[in-house]
Amino acid sequence: MTKHFWMLLVGVLATSLLLLSTDVGLYALALGLIVIGCLVYLTTKMERSHRQLEELYRLRTAYDHLDQQAKLIIRTDLELHRIQEELDRQLASLMSLHRLGQQLQVSLRPEEVFSKLDAEVVTNSGFTSALLGRCTESGDLEWCSLIGVNPAIAQQARQHLVQSGLFNDILTNPAPTVLQATLTTDPARRTLLELLDVPAVVTAGVIPHSGPTGCLVMGMARSSLANPKADQELVAILTNQLTIAIENSALYETSWGAQQALEQKVQERTRELAAVNTQLMRVNQAKSDFVSAVSHELRTPLAAIKGYAALLVNGQFGSLTAPQAERIAKVERHADHLTQLINNLLDIARIESGRVTMEHQLIPAKEFFTTVEELVHPQLEAKHLRYRLELDLKELVGDPQHLQRVFVNLLSNAVKYTPAGGSIRVHVERKDSTMISTVSDTGCGIAPEDLPKLFQEFYRANDPVNQEIRGTGLGLALAKRIVEAHRGRLSVKSDKGKGSIFTITLPIPEGSSEHSGKA
Amino acid sequence: MADTIVTAVGWSAKADAVEAGTQAADMALTRLLPHRPALAMVFGSSRFDQARLLQGVRSILGEVPLAGESTAGEIVSDGPLNYSVVVWLIASEALLCSLGVAEAADRAPREAGQQAAHSAIRGFQGPRKGFVLFGDGLMTRYADILRGIQEVLGTSTLIVGGMAGDDLRFAQTYQYANERVLSRAIVGILLGGPIALGVGCEHGFAPISKPRRITRARANILYELDRQPATSVYEEYLGSEVVERMRHTGFTRQHLAYPLGIQCEPSDPRLLRNVVSFGEDGSLLCSGEIPEGAWLQLMIGSHTLALEAARRAAQEAIQPLNRVAGVLVFDSIARRKLLGPRHAAMEIAQIRQVIGPSTPLVGCYTYGEHGPAGSSATAARTTIQTGSVLVIAVGS
Repeated sequence: MTKHFWMLLVGVLATSLLLLSTDVGLYALALGLIVIGCLVYLTTKMERSHRQLEELYRLRTAYDHLDQQAKLIIRTDLELHRIQEELDRQLASLMSLHRLGQQLQVSLRPEEVFSKLDAEVVTNSGFTSALLGRCTESGDLEWCSLIGVNPAIAQQARQHLVQSGLFNDILTNPAPTVLQATLTTDPARRTLLELLDVPAVVTAGVIPHSGPTGCLVMGMARSSLANPKADQELVAILTNQLTIAIENSALYETSWGAQQALEQKVQERTRELAAVNTQLMRVNQAKSDFVSAVSHELRTPLAAIKGYAALLVNGQFGSLTAPQAERIAKVERHADHLTQLINNLLDIARIESGRVTMEHQLIPAKEFFTTVEELVHPQLEAKHLRYRLELDLKELVGDPQHLQRVFVNLLSNAVKYTPAGGSIRVHVERKDSTMISTVSDTGCGIAPEDLPKLFQEFYRANDPVNQEIRGTGLGLALAKRIVEAHRGRLSVKSDKGKGSIFTITLPIPEGSSEHSGKA
Repeated sequence: MADTIVTAVGWSAKADAVEAGTQAADMALTRLLPHRPALAMVFGSSRFDQARLLQGVRSILGEVPLAGESTAGEIVSDGPLNYSVVVWLIASEALLCSLGVAEAADRAPREAGQQAAHSAIRGFQGPRKGFVLFGDGLMTRYADILRGIQEVLGTSTLIVGGMAGDDLRFAQTYQYANERVLSRAIVGILLGGPIALGVGCEHGFAPISKPRRITRARANILYELDRQPATSVYEEYLGSEVVERMRHTGFTRQHLAYPLGIQCEPSDPRLLRNVVSFGEDGSLLCSGEIPEGAWLQLMIGSHTLALEAARRAAQEAIQPLNRVAGVLVFDSIARRKLLGPRHAAMEIAQIRQVIGPSTPLVGCYTYGEHGPAGSSATAARTTIQTGSVLVIAVGS
């Protein structure tokens, strides 16, 4: 500002002198002042330009520095990109391989495994195309999965692989092999690359323990491999997965086959058993029919025998001598025994053949067991046995006539096999929807070996006590049939020398108004 | 009652071309019911036998006008797909659409553009809403094609589309026009009637190097920057070892992480170009036209920026529409490679989040996109892009 002011002042003075003076000296002074002013102006301008140049230089240097830094950033970023690309690829391929592994796990047949390779696995692994094929029985190659290769090209590649022997090489050397157009001189390998229109491929065999089953060819668009080891490892993982899946599916197929065979055998045996069972049922039915028919035939002459014996006893044909009366009484007794035997047999046959239908009616428990007791009372009295009834039930459900036979039979047996002075106990209770009744005695008991056969027809234990006691061998068999016809169970527990407990369980149908309580 | 635009998407990854085409078309048609399709767009992997693929699609769709192209990957709502085919059906009683085709577009691109546009407007009556263009992604003079189209349609018609891919094999791409499968061709659909289009095109890359003047370039070949061989400048930043590796490894993430950003005027948005290959003479073969005299900077991208760009593009696309019936996405294969599988899926998820989960979404990965770049761009500013995500919302 000051410099400009002085320059302006000098300029004005010099111009005034130049215009106003007539003196040469003053004129020269004015010119001198103008020259000085110009010099000062030029010096100032030069100083400013110099400063601007310095600023420009500084800016340019800073700009170049920034550009240099940009280069550093780019190179660092490039390296990061390279690493990131490799990581992305490996991550994506591992994820795809994991997904493929899951899909392969559910493959049930080896052929199915070969068709599971998909585009995602191939592209995520950095490859552009893939061909997965399996060996046929004739030793040929059949493609099962084609990714990024059209079927016509794949067919040509198949022929080339088989005819050139490359297929055999792959199967005999299962490790993944990299073929690069820039490094391969072998014409057969170069042809394969040309056919697939890729600069590089990785080939590998799919070879489970059972022997070679297929091959994998994966093509890539990159002409040189940045990390061939990583690519080989990826393909190795993939072929391992395929191999394991094939082995697993083969095992599954084997076990499935064995299971199917077993299933078939079970079905065959079941059919055979059913046939035998049907035959047995027919035989049983025939037996029941036979017993029924024979029993009916026997009852008529038996009735005649009993009738004539009664006439003789009554003296219709004259009085009998004592030995005659004694013999006739024996005839009557044996006829009664035979009648009882036949009746029991007939009942068993009827129940087995289903000709007898059990009634399901409510039976007042107290009256029922009173009647039963009355029927066996004479026998109890005769042997001086103690009898106790524990009734914890108001009503039972069933056929009163038949159930009466069961209880009378069990009590008669108890009386027969319990020594004088012993005791017999009947306990009846309800548990949920079941009536449980036990008939226990303090009798001679049953040997363990006799227990399983106790309910068979005509079975009598080979026991000295038993020899002295009369019986048809049908009472327990009939009792069991009657209980089972009521959908119940009759079972026995016994300690030899201590007594026996017979247990009857009978279902109480839903909706029965039965309420338990002391009777 | 106003005509309603309805769209539906079907896809298939079956290995057999006919089966894949049939399944995809059948799925789309079933989802479109009870509406009848007025237009079909098909995007299929180049791995399919293309004629058989269209045979499968048309066995279901019959004579419905069809256009589409082969891809470098397909896109549906669930994310990116590989080796599949997607079919997009648009139903509207009053939709106007007309196909324009030009073959041998690589020989005379400008004339091809004019021819496709002429054949599309022939018999087309009504206001034009947009021209969706499918073209061979391996052609180098794509800008001339666009100029040719604009010379016929004018600069007020929106031109959008994507360049066909071939799953990064760079051998042959395909374009579909009804039952025909073409190569080195362009196929366009001129749309009109009740349809409304919204467009968003973003890349999300930021400049990192100092700007350099493009001192020598022709078509898509960049020879010199600041009078130095272009490769040497590229090497300066990336390092000679990396460039040497890039010469041999093909299209990798390193190629794509640092595209070239080109700016003709300071106010212009930067257009991205990828380096496709390196010339022996120190030149760079790029994925789009390089204008001589423009400024060039190396750009840098990141997952975050790319995902933000996708979200922004989707928001720009749906913003002018009252109701979105469907969304078409042309996404650069460069972005897919840059993002990797996980983030590529996230990019589609970002778009889906903006447009709503129930809006049909379809698209493909391309070798280049063409649309108005930047949020403030007008229809007249349709340019060739690479590394961008172009979202086209269709509705009313």
